[in-house]
Amino acid sequence: MYQYSEQDHQLLLERVSQFRGQVARRLKGELSEEEFKHQRLRNGLYLQLHAYMLRVAIPYGLLSSEQMRTLAHIARKYDKGYGHFSTRQNIQYNWPKLEDVPDILDDLAKVEMHAIQTSGNCIRNTTSDPLAGVARDEIEDPRPYCELIRQWSTFHPEFNFLPRKFKIAVSGATHDRAAVAVHDIGLRLVKNETSEEIGFEVYVGGGLGRTPMLGKVIRKYLPKQDMLTYLEAILRVYNMLGRRDNIYKARSKILVHETGEEKFRELVEAEWEKIKAGGLFLRDEDFKWVKGFFNDPAYEALPDQDADFENLMLSNADFARWVDKNIELHKQSGYRIVYLSLKTALQPPGDVTADQMDAIADLADKYSLGHIRTTHRQNLVLSDVQLKDLPALWEELKALDLATPNYNHVTDIISCPGLDYCALATARSIPISQAITARFDDYDFINDLGDVSINISGCINACGHHHVANIGILGVNKKGTEVYQLTLGGSAREDAAIGKIIGPAFEADEIVDAVGKVLSVYLESREDPEETFLMAYRRLGQAPFKERLYG
Amino acid sequence: MALQVYTASLLKEGLVAYLALENGHPSWTSDIHQATVSEGDALDALKKAAEQSEQENIVVAPYAIDVLKTEDGIVAATKREQIRADGPTIGLPQDNLRESRQAA
Ligand code: HEM
Ligand code: SF4
Repeated sequence: MYQYSEQDHQLLLERVSQFRGQVARRLKGELSEEEFKHQRLRNGLYLQLHAYMLRVAIPYGLLSSEQMRTLAHIARKYDKGYGHFSTRQNIQYNWPKLEDVPDILDDLAKVEMHAIQTSGNCIRNTTSDPLAGVARDEIEDPRPYCELIRQWSTFHPEFNFLPRKFKIAVSGATHDRAAVAVHDIGLRLVKNETSEEIGFEVYVGGGLGRTPMLGKVIRKYLPKQDMLTYLEAILRVYNMLGRRDNIYKARSKILVHETGEEKFRELVEAEWEKIKAGGLFLRDEDFKWVKGFFNDPAYEALPDQDADFENLMLSNADFARWVDKNIELHKQSGYRIVYLSLKTALQPPGDVTADQMDAIADLADKYSLGHIRTTHRQNLVLSDVQLKDLPALWEELKALDLATPNYNHVTDIISCPGLDYCALATARSIPISQAITARFDDYDFINDLGDVSINISGCINACGHHHVANIGILGVNKKGTEVYQLTLGGSAREDAAIGKIIGPAFEADEIVDAVGKVLSVYLESREDPEETFLMAYRRLGQAPFKERLYG
Repeated sequence: MALQVYTASLLKEGLVAYLALENGHPSWTSDIHQATVSEGDALDALKKAAEQSEQENIVVAPYAIDVLKTEDGIVAATKREQIRADGPTIGLPQDNLRESRQAA
């Protein structure tokens, strides 16, 4: 994990003390709300439906147990005892008081965390694969590149006021677990066919919101040494040409779309020519230095089997189910990757209580080399658990309600806060996710359905990623009533696709039935259980689903 | 003409508040039932008091909302404002967990 330098610490302390002054002046009335708003947003502080909301960055989703304990402490001391993990791997607090925020930021700074660039028209937290460094399908660990991007983009003076927010994701594996296609820039580590060198496939202009678009491949292969110069060139073109006159047309997706892929590529390449040999060109020593923070931990040489584990697999069906659904193979023999499901009918998707956070930190220390990762689907990961420890870990997770066997299954729902918390919302999303979970919360049914995703957003801004779910749900306000539009066929993975609206919206008390109908069409029509929901939908098209829903 | 009350967020806490005017003295309460309801021209007094509180840095971004008078007292007219008045419609995660463990 990256360790702050003296300068990093200094920078953060200065920033917190600056903000402390701004808050004090606001409370005394020396700053108006209009003046202060820009300052607070630069520090991740929104004013929401019920209270202020603070968004804290978790760089590429990586947390130490000490950082997790600080997040628990903040939830307990300054909030209502919980936090919400978001699809961009960050955490949000829903109830901080303005006067407490400088103290919260001080506490965060002590563990090398902050809320800078988590809001506003700047380069946001870079997201990545939650299995970085441990996945079997990895080409190279993306985290060193994420860290280089983090350092380049933090307080970058030229990109401090972009036309609109700007999001970057990096994936280092063949399977995309970071949704690179729906980011302003998506980087995929690839191996050059001829030279075997590692570089990037570069996507630009992806995004969701009211005009969802998949990123376009602007370069099939970019040598890794050129990563920052090329990013700088893209950002410059966007910064110069992105539309500042119309907030709905200001994202990079609109610029790339309106300029045309070919022309946009030419503009970037021309800009790149001017700067590619400059100071941002990455040298061998730069990689060596940054990779030093992400060396493999001292794994033990272990066999890839364990008698106690195997016995429990045979004797305890619940354990076997959990292993089947929430455990992933590790690149290292004798180790496993464990998903902690934050999806039960009891908690809003992504919500974790302070007590759970503390317990997770302890489990990370005890079983997983002291680290936790956050995922794009609003779950957590313990990345380095020994096979022999799985039975004990499972017992502890069960007691914490964190062992629901549903990863990437129908009740593993992404949901934004919706009208229960969000000032921009048009409808509630959490109660819908809970109703769907309650309805389908049966292991055999979940297991039979297999790999399927449901995502819910409470308005067209699409924070809940409904466009890229196999089954997407969008809450809308229709003459004062909350109604829900169904979208089918989306995907956020390597086969990324934007789903299509299937027909007129459903009332709140109809939407769960509608989802049930969609699922039964799939179950009745699939060729065999190997054919996933998405494969079946792609084969069948909208017609049979439409027929069942509206026929 | 619709009945209205004034609402805003408290600057210090960020919490939802409603304006109560008593003998011309403004105060802000978290309880919508204690808000001063007005309509038509009489709303002007509320508006002035709300703006005054904004200038005095007590509240942020005040605005008027439609309300209905029911047997249970004042109810906000829209779902959004009902949720603002009553809080999230879902329990806190720790309360839900506790209840389910007690039931088990
Ligand atoms: C409650 C406070 C929030 C506010 C005010 C807010 C606001 C917005 C807005 C205005 C957009 C549309 C931006 C555009 O298209 O230009 C957006 C998109 C998005 N937000 Fe949020 N959001 C909030 C919470 C969240 C949460 C909780 C998550 C994660 C669950 C999230 C993640 C995202 C993502 C992933 C997108 C869409 C991807 C994109 O096109 O960039 N936001 N948000
Ligand atoms: S999608 Fe809409 S309702 Fe949901 S968090 Fe984003 S802005 Fe709020």
